Amino acid sequence: MTDSTARVATVERERVNWSVVRVMLGRDLGAIVRSKALILPMLALPLVLLVLLPAAIGLAANGKQLRVERFVDMLPSALAAPVMAHPPQERLVILVLGYLVAPLFLIVPLMISAVTAADTFAGEKERRTLETLLHLPVRDRDLYIAKLLGGFIPATAVAWSGFVIFAVISNIVCWPVMHRLFLPTWLWMIVILWLAPAVAAIGLGIMVRVSIRVNNTQEAQQLGGAVVLPLVILAVGQTTGLLLAGPKVAFGAGIVLWAIAIWLNIRGARAYARDTMATRL
Amino acid sequence: MGEPAIICDGLTRDFPSGRALDGLTIDVQPGEVLALLGPNGAGKTTTIRLLNGVLVPDSGTATVLGMDPWRQGNELRARTGVLTENAGLDERFTALENLVVMARLRGIDADVARRKAGDLLERFGMGHRADVKVQGFSTGQRKRVALARALLHEPDLLFLDEPTSGLDPAATRDVVDLIGSLAAEQGRTVVLCTHFLGEAGKLANRMAVLFQGKLHAFGTPAELARGLWTGTEVRLDLDVPAPDALLSSLGALSMVIQAVPTPNGVVVRVADRDAVPVVVATCVAAGAPVYAVNPHDPSLEDVYFEIEARAGAVALPEEP
Repeated sequence: MTDSTARVATVERERVNWSVVRVMLGRDLGAIVRSKALILPMLALPLVLLVLLPAAIGLAANGKQLRVERFVDMLPSALAAPVMAHPPQERLVILVLGYLVAPLFLIVPLMISAVTAADTFAGEKERRTLETLLHLPVRDRDLYIAKLLGGFIPATAVAWSGFVIFAVISNIVCWPVMHRLFLPTWLWMIVILWLAPAVAAIGLGIMVRVSIRVNNTQEAQQLGGAVVLPLVILAVGQTTGLLLAGPKVAFGAGIVLWAIAIWLNIRGARAYARDTMATRL
Repeated sequence: MGEPAIICDGLTRDFPSGRALDGLTIDVQPGEVLALLGPNGAGKTTTIRLLNGVLVPDSGTATVLGMDPWRQGNELRARTGVLTENAGLDERFTALENLVVMARLRGIDADVARRKAGDLLERFGMGHRADVKVQGFSTGQRKRVALARALLHEPDLLFLDEPTSGLDPAATRDVVDLIGSLAAEQGRTVVLCTHFLGEAGKLANRMAVLFQGKLHAFGTPAELARGLWTGTEVRLDLDVPAPDALLSSLGALSMVIQAVPTPNGVVVRVADRDAVPVVVATCVAAGAPVYAVNPHDPSLEDVYFEIEARAGAVALPEEP
């Protein structure tokens, strides 16, 4: 360790100043709520995925008998079994709303965390407010935690509240077919409570690293998109199989995602150092 | 004189683009206004960031308000206020909200923060815009709000980075007056980065001149002038350029260091002011009527541009 890094390291062992974190978090969340450029994309995707899609599926299932057996037949028998165990008229609803939407749903926290992280991290540089923060008597780690929560809380909040709306709409629209409340399922609970926060944390971890290197929100989103989008496609493809394979496998996948998220964010915290950021102003 | 507010010795910092600061050694006394002068890229902002513990030096030491900026950065920053070159206000918030958030991040209670912020905005003529979003503010208004923000916690030491850049003349005068009162009435130590010599001349006790990261001069303008030039410059108005014969007569006087013709007379550099009557007598004897005699003390501009010229000469590459 050089003398310079030793000087910085000495202050990082102290306890988190939650008062600073709360004030900074309030500032960042307040700014998000006031920004149409942030709020609109944050609400558009959940609206399509969690409101319009279940409504459309429910109406389609009500209107005529859509056959999904040919699609389900292409799946391995172990994966097809949970769908085929239901009566034929319920299979479309179960397949789409019970299984296929769940991995797509993970895009919501990922996208929201990426958008908010780009704003709270790279946006400070773009707005030229970062230097003011660096001259405050605030520890780098406290600043980082506040910024992290500023991305994590909206992503998780929208995901969870979006799921509640999704479940209510799905149950209402599909009632004529299902004659029971079919959501939430165990799989959905794992997706919402376990996988969605992990995915949001991964998005944050990536965007922090990206945001430190770029000068504005647009660059952060572009570069972040180049990293995040392939991950999304990969994750969606893999998670569909994992969810059909059952709750235990989905839970295990969550452990892996959380491990990646924690690793990314520890590295992000190390990179989010005053000197590094001031060097790139 | 007490312990200096700032002492730094050999402060050096490299960036990937090159050396930003090269062995800076200066001191600033409590209550003093120090002007850091130099063109863009001279190392002024880097100096502020280093002294406030935001950047870590590659070598060198510093003590600011009795603290090590890199081991006690947060303790130090609790006692310093910074006006960055860009006001750094969040446009999505009002002036008052900007100040209150910063005060609360400094640990000031919300109610106290609101009261102090309101008082400072009033004092800086921004009370009527306290609840307006910063987005529509002029550069001058932003600077005023940012200056108020720098003073919220009553700092002992103020770092002001280009406080008047982008301001119109009236706003510049107002900000310079404000800074002057902060130093004179309230005894704060001020480090003022600027490339406007007028405001430095009005405000600063001493100046440090930086070029390409190196300190080229440090002291009061008079001290620096003495280091640059010997003797006193006297301007004689003869209504016409001094003839060669007169220049030869003046050059022959032992107390005259240099005599240079001007469009309406001659500029004579003499060893001391006792030589002035002899110079005037020589002119009259040579048949040149003297309409005015003006001893000229070098201004801050004269000093700065002489230092810049010499620094430029030093920095010029050698002929192949």
